Amino acid sequence: MKEYVLVVDDEQSLRQVLELFFRKEGFEVDTASSLAEAEAAIAANAYDLVLTDLFDLVPPTAHMETVTAAHFSGKPLSFPGWKMIGAEAVVVGNVSVRGDRLSIEMRLYDATQGTLLVGKRYTGTPGQLRSIVHRFANEIVYTFTGVRGVFGTEIAFTARPERSRGKELYVVGMDGKDLRKVTANRSFNLFPRWSPDGRWLAYTSFRTGAPAVYLRNVSTGAEKEVVRFGGSKAPGGFSPDGVWLYAGVSQAGNSDIYRVRVVGGAAEKVVDGWGLEVSPSPSPDGRRIAFVSDRGGSPQIYVKTIGAAGETRISSGTDYATSPSWSPAGDRIAYTARSGGRFVVATVAPDGTGTREVASAPDGDCEDPSFSPDGRSLVYTYRKRGYSALKIISSDGRRQRTLVSGLGDAGSPAWSPGR
Amino acid sequence: MKGTFSWKWAVLALSVAALVAAGCAKKQTVKSEGAQGAPGEVSAPAPAPISEAPAKEAPPAPMAVTPAMPPAAAPGVAVTEEKISRFDDVRFDFDKSVVKEDGRKTCQIVADYLKAHPNAQMLIEGHCDERGTAEYNMALGERRATAVMTYLVSLGVPKGTLSTVSFGKERPLDPGHNEEAWAKNRRAHFVLK
Repeated sequence: MKEYVLVVDDEQSLRQVLELFFRKEGFEVDTASSLAEAEAAIAANAYDLVLTDLFDLVPPTAHMETVTAAHFSGKPLSFPGWKMIGAEAVVVGNVSVRGDRLSIEMRLYDATQGTLLVGKRYTGTPGQLRSIVHRFANEIVYTFTGVRGVFGTEIAFTARPERSRGKELYVVGMDGKDLRKVTANRSFNLFPRWSPDGRWLAYTSFRTGAPAVYLRNVSTGAEKEVVRFGGSKAPGGFSPDGVWLYAGVSQAGNSDIYRVRVVGGAAEKVVDGWGLEVSPSPSPDGRRIAFVSDRGGSPQIYVKTIGAAGETRISSGTDYATSPSWSPAGDRIAYTARSGGRFVVATVAPDGTGTREVASAPDGDCEDPSFSPDGRSLVYTYRKRGYSALKIISSDGRRQRTLVSGLGDAGSPAWSPGR
Repeated sequence: MKGTFSWKWAVLALSVAALVAAGCAKKQTVKSEGAQGAPGEVSAPAPAPISEAPAKEAPPAPMAVTPAMPPAAAPGVAVTEEKISRFDDVRFDFDKSVVKEDGRKTCQIVADYLKAHPNAQMLIEGHCDERGTAEYNMALGERRATAVMTYLVSLGVPKGTLSTVSFGKERPLDPGHNEEAWAKNRRAHFVLK
C-alpha cells in the first residue's frame, strides 16, 4: 500500500527535491505551492504526512556532496562545504532492507559545528516505515523547537456505528489514517480521556446497564472499573503524573468534581457546590483544574487551585460555556461557547483574559476542543443538523482540515499525548 | 521555544542507499552518539529507538482484543432502547430542571399509580436535547430525573421505590434537529421495572 505525502512550499525547487526524495522512497507525492492549493488537496485526499515550509531547504543544486553508505561507516561529511552554502543542519539517512526487515538509520547534524544532534537507528517491517518516519520527524521538530512533534499521535473519540443505537470508542491517527474501533459492546461508551503515558483510555460505559468509569489498556483491551459510585459520571482528565483521574460524578442529582487514584481507593471531592460541576481538566503542572459549573445560573468555566479555597470564573460574554481543555504549555484554555445561537470553540488565558474565538461555522456548531500535545492545533467536533465530523484547526484558527467524517454522531475527541 | 525556525535545513542529502539483501555489515556507532548528541533529552531513552519502534507497532489489530458482540438482551445493549411507558414524559426547558405545571400533573398521575401499586419499582430516566456538551448534558439529565424523583417523594411516594438514571443527549426520542424535536427530547421518562 502506497503512503501519501503532501509537500507544501512556495519555493519550487524545494517542492521538487522533497517530491523526488519521497518518490524515491516509494511514497505517492502531491505538491502545493500555496495555502489554498494545500487546503484543496487536503480536502480531496487523505495524506499520511503533510510537510509545510517549517524549514528553509537548501536547493539541491547547491548540495556539496552525495551521501553514500560510506558516511555511515565512519567517513565524515564535509561540513565546511555545507556551512559555506548556508546550511545550518544536515539530515542524512540510510535505508536497508534485509528479507522482511527494514533498517533505517537517520542522523541530524549541526552543520556549523559539525556535531551530531540526533542519531537514531530504527528496525522494523516495511509496514512500519510510516511510523519510523513519524518518529524521526518528531525528533527533528523537538531538536529545533524544544517541543515534541505530533507525528504518530492519535485521537480517541465516540461515534455511533451503522445499525447500532449505542456509541463505541474509536481511535484514529492524527493524519486521519488507521481508524479503528476500540469497544464493541453495543451500549453507550462515552467521554474518552488519555492517560499521560498514552497507554490507557478512561471512559464512561453503560455496558453493564448502569454507568461506570473504566480504564482500558488501549493495546491489550484489559479493563478496570475505577468509578462506580453515584449516578451520572464522566472522566475529565488525568493528573500529569498519572496518579489521579478527575471526574464529574452526580450524587442525589448534584454533580461535583472528584478524583480517584488510578490504582484504586476512595474518591476525594475536589470541587463541591450547589450547581452542576462537570468536565474537570487538570493544568499541565497538575496544580489547578478548569471545570464547568452552572452555580451562577448558566454553565461557565472556572479555575481552581487544587486543595486551596477560591474559584475564579474565566469565561465571559456567553450564556453557555462548557468542555474546557487546558493547553500543554498551560497558557490557554479552550472551551465550547454559545454565541449567537451557535456553538463555537474559543480560548482564554487561565486568568480569564484574552478571550478569542478559534473555530466557528456559519451553518453549524463547533464543540469539544482538545489540544494537540504540541499545543499548535486543536481537534473539535463540527455538527450541522444530523451531520458530524471531527476537524483539526491550528490554534490561531487559520488552518483547518477534516480528520474524520462519515461516521454517525462522531464527537468527544481527545488528542493523545506525544510519542 | 529553544531555537527558531531560521535554521536552514539541508534536507535530504538523504542518499537513501537502499541496500537490498546481502550482508552489508553495519557499524554500531549511532547509539552512543545519539545519547550524547541529543540536547535536552535528559530522561528520554535516546539510545533505545531500535527496540521501541517495533514495540509500538506490536499490538495486534485492536478488533482482535475487543470482546465478542453481546446479545441484544444484554443489559448494556438494552439501555440504548426506548421503552414504551404508560405515563407521559415530563418535559423541561433548555438547560433547566424545574418541573413545570404540566409535568406536575403527570407526576400526580404517576404518584397515584405508585401508591396504588406499592410493589412497583419505578426508574426515572433523565434526557436532554442534542445541543451542548455531552458531559454537561449527562449531569443535567441526572438533575432532571432527580427533580422528578424529589417531586414524587413530596407527593408521598416512598423513596425506596424510585431510582434514576441519566442518558444525557445519547438517546433522543425524536431524531429531528429543530425546536419541536428538542422540546420532546428534554424529558424525564418513566419506566416501570
